[in-house]
Amino acid sequence: METHTKPGQSHLPPLTRGPHSKRLGLVAVVATFGGLLFGYDTGVINGALEPMKDDLGLTSATEGFVVSILIFGAAIGALIGGRLADKYGRRSNILMLACIFAFGTIGCVLSPTWEVLAFFRFILGLAVGGASATVPVYLAEVSPVETRGSMVTRNEVMIVSGQFAAFVINAIIFNIWGEHDGVWRWMLLVAVLPAFALFFGMLKMPESPRWLTSQDRNEEALGVLKQIRSDERAEAEMDEVHRLAEEEKQAQTGGWADLAVPWIRRLVIIGIGLGVFQQFTGINSIMYYGSQLLEDAGFSAKAAIIANTANGLFSVLGITVGLLLMNKVNRRTMLLVGFGLTTFFHLLVGLSAKFIPDGDIKPYFILLFVILFVFCMQATIGPLVWLLLAEIFPLKIRSFAMGVCVFCLWSANAVVAFGFPPMVAAVGIASSFFVFAALGVLAWIFIYTMVPETRGVSLEEFEEEMRDAHS
Amino acid sequence: MSVLVAVPDSPEGLAALAAGVTEAELLGTDLIVMNLALKPLDTSSIPNGTHVKVLERAGKSDRDPAEAVLDEIKEHDISRLVIGIKRRTPVGKAVLGSVSQRLLLDSPVPVIAVKLNNQKKRRVEMP
Repeated sequence: METHTKPGQSHLPPLTRGPHSKRLGLVAVVATFGGLLFGYDTGVINGALEPMKDDLGLTSATEGFVVSILIFGAAIGALIGGRLADKYGRRSNILMLACIFAFGTIGCVLSPTWEVLAFFRFILGLAVGGASATVPVYLAEVSPVETRGSMVTRNEVMIVSGQFAAFVINAIIFNIWGEHDGVWRWMLLVAVLPAFALFFGMLKMPESPRWLTSQDRNEEALGVLKQIRSDERAEAEMDEVHRLAEEEKQAQTGGWADLAVPWIRRLVIIGIGLGVFQQFTGINSIMYYGSQLLEDAGFSAKAAIIANTANGLFSVLGITVGLLLMNKVNRRTMLLVGFGLTTFFHLLVGLSAKFIPDGDIKPYFILLFVILFVFCMQATIGPLVWLLLAEIFPLKIRSFAMGVCVFCLWSANAVVAFGFPPMVAAVGIASSFFVFAALGVLAWIFIYTMVPETRGVSLEEFEEEMRDAHS
Repeated sequence: MSVLVAVPDSPEGLAALAAGVTEAELLGTDLIVMNLALKPLDTSSIPNGTHVKVLERAGKSDRDPAEAVLDEIKEHDISRLVIGIKRRTPVGKAVLGSVSQRLLLDSPVPVIAVKLNNQKKRRVEMP
């Protein structure tokens, strides 16, 4: 994590404004289109699914399959994408991803059957996973140490903003052209626009200086730095870039065999648990199936898709609050409060669905509690799990351990996406949310007993503590 | 000529380090310590007079600890390899592999394998 690696910062010349800072701003805007696409492509199904179901004849099982196959693709894409970005460079990888985004989107739009659709959603998933592994790295590598944290954060905000944008655009399209069978195709098609923006934007953007250095292309690295820093600062920063490239090499040392060491194994188990329980809050059952859920709760189709935009809005608001709170509150406290609140709102959604008689007010109660759940989740567990994954592992196993945890996180996401429609079909909304509440209780116990506090502790102190406690 | 000792992050690692020091003294050679742990090596147990060089695992090419050790044997003039061993469960071996077993079988130089001194006896319960 950046906060642990600050030596060298003090003797760098200060950041100045000028053409180079504008250029850096542009780099950040263009690259975060990758995050926006990630959000748009995962969110667009929420709203497109209902007309798609009628058009392509989906059952609750094939529905779960079509939705979740994108997430399975993302799990694989995250693994492959990271490797390709190391081999061919961040910029080339993002350019390739933009092409896959556009190709996958057009394939989905033209799909005659659900099988073809599923295939192209898998392709899109590869791009989503690849973007999740490449864009934050690119952003971190081009930004100066002073603003590195906020640049990477901006990408997280762009992901949920992409989902929100998809919900809003779906609501507009559905309310105007909802009578047409193929309306879902138009909803999906909108996603090619940011893909083109990403592609043509990235063509003009530079490669990451840190990656160039790792390939011994120091002249080019300095050239890039001079575009996005003042000349004086660029020269001075080359040392830091070298040091970080070396550190990244170190981060790839550890692997499978090191899991034989108890304290390291425990940290990896903690990381996997955090990733899996973050997804088992069911946040993405709302992000993918929110419109349908609200329709099941009693809204008309047109009202449900409009009400669903509130999920997107409160997701963006939640993550904004979360990022502001993040370094002010202890991590453990924030996680325990977060899981406490989400579990509480799961129970309220379940109880409302079970005990409020069908009628005018019931859907509004369910909507209210779902929104509060989304807000609390995004303000605590959502961003915090990513932060913890970035800071709990010792440098020498960070790359491997992060890879394992992120893969498990995506897999858990896919399990929820796949299982949610059949679960609701089989036991109803109320019991489905009671299942999430039960998982929330398990998560709470897991965090209470396993997850250590890392705020305000240096990585070295933390490692020593873990070693002493578990060897 | 040097003695190479492989020190993983475990009690056997420390036993191996002690045995390595003794072996180097006995043969009158230098000691090269390969730190297989992902943390800095605690060198306090090495007596002051010993000529010692510590090697670290670094980067993807050293991801596999056994490969990392075998590479160092090729690179330096090594006369003995010292390792620590312990009893492993078949499942543990199947899942994580056995570094010791591979070093014993693949090392081009003689291997000294040391065990912990009965600190954790296997519990045998008589009916």
